[in-house]
Amino acid sequence: MGSLFRSEEVALCQLFLQSESAYTCVSELGELGLVQFRDLNPDVNAFQRKFVNEVRRCDEMERKLRYLEREIRRDTIPVLDTGDNPEAPMPREMIDLEANFEKLENELKEVNSNAEALKRNYLELTELRHILKKTQVFFDEAMYPPNLPPDQSAYFDDDDETVNLLTDVSLHQLKHIGIWLVILKPFEVRINSCQSTITTLVASTDGRDGCGGNLDGGSASLTQNLLPDEAKGPIQLGFVAGVILRERVASFERMLWRACRGNVFLRQAQIEEPLEDPATGEQVYKSVFIIFFQGEQLKLRVKKICEGFRATMYPCPEAPADRREMAMGVKTRLDDLNTVLSQTQDHRHRVLVSAARNLRSWMLKVWKIKAIYHSLNMFNIDTIQNGLIAECWIPVADLETVQLALRRGTEKSGSLPAILNRLSCVEAPPTFHRTNKFTRAFQALIDSYGVASYREMNPAVYTIITFPFLFSIMFGDIGHGLLMTLFGSWMVWKEKPLSVKKTDNEIWNIFFGGRYIIWLMGVFSMYTGLIYNDVFSKSLNLFGSSWHVPFDDETIRNNAELMLDPKEPKQYDGSPYPVGLDPLWQLANNKINFLNSYKMKISIIFGIVHMMFGIFLSLWNHKFFSRRLNIVCEFIPQVLFMCCLFVYLALLIFIKWVNYGAGPDVPIVLTPGCAPSILITFINMVLMKGYQQQSDNNPCSAYMFDGQYYIQMMLVFLALICVPWMLVTKPYFLHKASKQRAMLGTSGVEGGLEESGEPTTLPAQPAEDHDMGEIAIHQGIHTIEFVLGSVSHTASYLRLWALSLAHAQLSEVLWGMVLRNGLSTAGTTGGFAMYFIFAVWACLTVAILVLMEGLSAFLHTLRLHWVEFQSKFYDGQGYAFVPFSFDAILEANENAVTEQK
Amino acid sequence: MLDSLFNIDCGYLEGLVRGFRNGILRQTDYLNLVQCETLDDLKLHLQSTDYGNFLANEPSPLQVSVIDDKLREKLVIEFQHLRNHAVEPLATFMDYITYGYMIDNIVLLITGALHQRPISELMPKCHPLGTFDQIEAINVANTSVELYNAVLVDTPLAEFFGECVSEQDLDELNIEIIRNTLYKAYLESFYNYCKGLGGTTADVMCPILAFEADRRAFIITVNSFGTELTKEDRAKLYPTCGRLYPDGLAALARADDPENVKQVAEFYTEYRALFEGAGNNPGEKTLEDKFFEYEVKLNVNAFMQQFHCGVFYSYLRLKEQECRNVVWIAECIAQKHRAKIDNYIPIL
Repeated sequence: MGSLFRSEEVALCQLFLQSESAYTCVSELGELGLVQFRDLNPDVNAFQRKFVNEVRRCDEMERKLRYLEREIRRDTIPVLDTGDNPEAPMPREMIDLEANFEKLENELKEVNSNAEALKRNYLELTELRHILKKTQVFFDEAMYPPNLPPDQSAYFDDDDETVNLLTDVSLHQLKHIGIWLVILKPFEVRINSCQSTITTLVASTDGRDGCGGNLDGGSASLTQNLLPDEAKGPIQLGFVAGVILRERVASFERMLWRACRGNVFLRQAQIEEPLEDPATGEQVYKSVFIIFFQGEQLKLRVKKICEGFRATMYPCPEAPADRREMAMGVKTRLDDLNTVLSQTQDHRHRVLVSAARNLRSWMLKVWKIKAIYHSLNMFNIDTIQNGLIAECWIPVADLETVQLALRRGTEKSGSLPAILNRLSCVEAPPTFHRTNKFTRAFQALIDSYGVASYREMNPAVYTIITFPFLFSIMFGDIGHGLLMTLFGSWMVWKEKPLSVKKTDNEIWNIFFGGRYIIWLMGVFSMYTGLIYNDVFSKSLNLFGSSWHVPFDDETIRNNAELMLDPKEPKQYDGSPYPVGLDPLWQLANNKINFLNSYKMKISIIFGIVHMMFGIFLSLWNHKFFSRRLNIVCEFIPQVLFMCCLFVYLALLIFIKWVNYGAGPDVPIVLTPGCAPSILITFINMVLMKGYQQQSDNNPCSAYMFDGQYYIQMMLVFLALICVPWMLVTKPYFLHKASKQRAMLGTSGVEGGLEESGEPTTLPAQPAEDHDMGEIAIHQGIHTIEFVLGSVSHTASYLRLWALSLAHAQLSEVLWGMVLRNGLSTAGTTGGFAMYFIFAVWACLTVAILVLMEGLSAFLHTLRLHWVEFQSKFYDGQGYAFVPFSFDAILEANENAVTEQK
Repeated sequence: MLDSLFNIDCGYLEGLVRGFRNGILRQTDYLNLVQCETLDDLKLHLQSTDYGNFLANEPSPLQVSVIDDKLREKLVIEFQHLRNHAVEPLATFMDYITYGYMIDNIVLLITGALHQRPISELMPKCHPLGTFDQIEAINVANTSVELYNAVLVDTPLAEFFGECVSEQDLDELNIEIIRNTLYKAYLESFYNYCKGLGGTTADVMCPILAFEADRRAFIITVNSFGTELTKEDRAKLYPTCGRLYPDGLAALARADDPENVKQVAEFYTEYRALFEGAGNNPGEKTLEDKFFEYEVKLNVNAFMQQFHCGVFYSYLRLKEQECRNVVWIAECIAQKHRAKIDNYIPIL
């Protein structure tokens, strides 16, 4: 488990593969997932690489599979996911796969085109049926116009042979002519050609508005006068019937009106049930229309417009008998078509079901082949020995396993063994942390700041404890912690079923990925909640409070405020509450003052401990990389600086806690009233100000112990010395080393390097003056950052107190404003009220206090780790080890596929 | 418009369009593309750019027309996404951009109808940005009056149509005149709209549209030699929002041969440079390409400023140029005609 503290050792290896066995070897390595290949031809275009044809064939197979999958999904056939992981097939099997897919695709395409043709046919027939039905209504309406007064029926020729169509007159035309009693166009549709009865028909535009009375014999002659000459003769009216998309009806109508100058008459009716568009398979709504017009010119025009609006036109016989006959014919044909269609569908279904059974394993196979060829494309070609040369990073610990895998690969193909050579390299290897399901989330937290430099101290190990702990300081509440623990435990408990069920819900994935963090945060919050003695803003009196109220009822009733005195043995036991905060503080008026002081102090103490720990981790870094210079010039002054100022501050806090108190036999100098403010003391210390001599009648002292002033002077002085120490010494030593090297000449470079103890950052170029300047500036920035940072970082830890205060106050407000209302309502109504109020309170508790506050505390904890802690030692300049692994590739591909859905 | 308020309505879209712009192919991409041996190579390389998997579902072997369609489809989807999220004044601005395509589509359809081609065959050739409800019924019209009354009156193009209403039957020359008159009215209207928006939008768009107008004037003149178009009619087609207006246009109206056109261009520094290097000999760039190059330069420069609508126009134009480039390269590869493969116009 040594690798937990540092990333693993990774070696650069060279791999000689025979061209016959390269494929199988890479396939084995892919299953293993421990090797990261380096691209040896970065300058070669994707399409100029060796195995581009194979990649292309895989693309083609993938396309076919996607097509299959789309079709399968369209029929909502479940894709069988057995969860097994087929091995990458041999290259020669690729041809079989290809042929197989090709056959399937063609078959499916044929079935589809057949089905589409059938569906189109079906659609046409259905539309025709609708037309026949709807037009029947139009014609019927014409015969018995619904809006004509009954006494006008005399004007109608009830003769079966003639059907008169009545029309609503368009309002436009009405206005145009300027009369309100108009005939639009008297027309008739001739049904039997042998008969040629002419009927001019008068229709009122609106029988209701009183014009009906004018519709007597006289009006007929009036209208006849209005008509153009040819209208008086027999008029041959043509009509076109068809179906159009419903949303296009309005513009269609307008267009017709404009293009034909109002000389056509359109009736339309909606088809209620949606029809299936055979091309896209979508459900569309359509309308039936029928257009009447006169003359060939108009007919041409109307047809053009219909085509323009993609309306489908159907022949519609004029005679009702013919229509009926046709309707019958259509119906029988529809029935026939239905059977054929269902047979085609069955066939399609069978094909798809059999494909769905294998789809997943095919997909996996193709993905694997493709991944293998992508890797092979990164290799160099050894023209002499007819082999491939690969370079790769392999964790040293796994060299054996990789060798075994290579042997397996070569055995499979039966060719000469592959050769694995370790190379030495100047380049920094990738950073590889072996994680398990528990450490992964913590490592991810660290990596999202920056991947550790190669073999650098890994903060993730310490984060496992410090992260939930700092979180819990801000989130301390047994109740809320319990909720969080339960949630975390549930996720850990149901780990397997939950992780199998993949969703693309990002928020859930984040929660689930961090389930162990959540669980630990919950547990730690319960612990700090116990220390703060806080359960949903109430306290637990587990061990019995150390405080007692000796007053009688009357005193309590008469006084708004009463003070308990710790000096009185009757009121205070003398020994504190065993664990955490005394529950009595819950009732105290000065609870917040007390808690603020307490929480601020522990925040500072934990902060200083955390930062000091970070600085000490840098010592291990320096030791590991044998940077002696850094220990002397950076680590020691840093520790000294921190100790002199901030550790001393923490010490003062402890002195104040221990020495000052309110017992019965405490000398007056050590009573709480006399305790000096730590903040003021510290400020005065840094300003090196002496304290005012106290006047005679003030017994208090500004000092906590003897000689404090001189000790403080010395500490500040030491801290001040550390600043130039950090600033100057390192550049000076480096400068000296480089001078020495220059004197020794180029042969002494190695020696000079070792002497300086700084192998990685030393410049090898002759432009040393320039580099020296750079080093000096870098060091200056580093020093200033550390000195200023130590102040601001210490202050930054006060967020622990601030967030904790906010959390406690919010939960108290929530209790006081919401739940107390329910609790203080008496009787049955109270019970009912409580039922609802509790729901509100519970929802708000979860939503605001656990989720929102939890998130904010989480973010602050993250910041404390990234900025305050890691800035002390962590470089984060590395790059991650990304092994060539089928599992990762398949998962990425599957995610891409689900995203597309 | 106050610059500081621009982001309230259009900041998101501007960010999007700038992101899209970063996906425009660069010189190195073109260098890789021209090395391709087959169209599948081209597809493979385009996969590594922002185009991503746009050709992944097309079966090999690829056709140039498929590439063209897909390129355009992608651009149209992007543009329509932007348009759907746009609010005023950007919405109108983007609508204005589409009017140009509408004019082209109408002319395409009428010309096709004149040659007795069915509309259904022509429709796929229309630019999807320039379609409207009534467009397919366009062959109802035999004269321009009918065209106006029946088809265009409901479309946004109606306002540009005022000048070309006549009872004459539509014929080739007529259609060209309609196209150019429409375009003139459209350009002038667009120019005035941008000017009305003021601010950076006007600063950026006016030079671009002015160049567009001048280019049309030059091209109309050059193409009119040897046709029946009279000089008076020709003069009526010149858009008047360019830098050539009024003197240059007057001179162009008098021009009798290409040499005269060149003399007119002499008076304008930026156009002189374009005419000087142009020619039809091998090794020389055609005037058209010179114009395209200059247009690309203007459009690239539009991205140098912030808080204006011009980037949307420029993006579309640049992307169209890119489509032309890719299709050109694809054509050269498909026809094994590598000599001219470098005649694309690099953008970035």
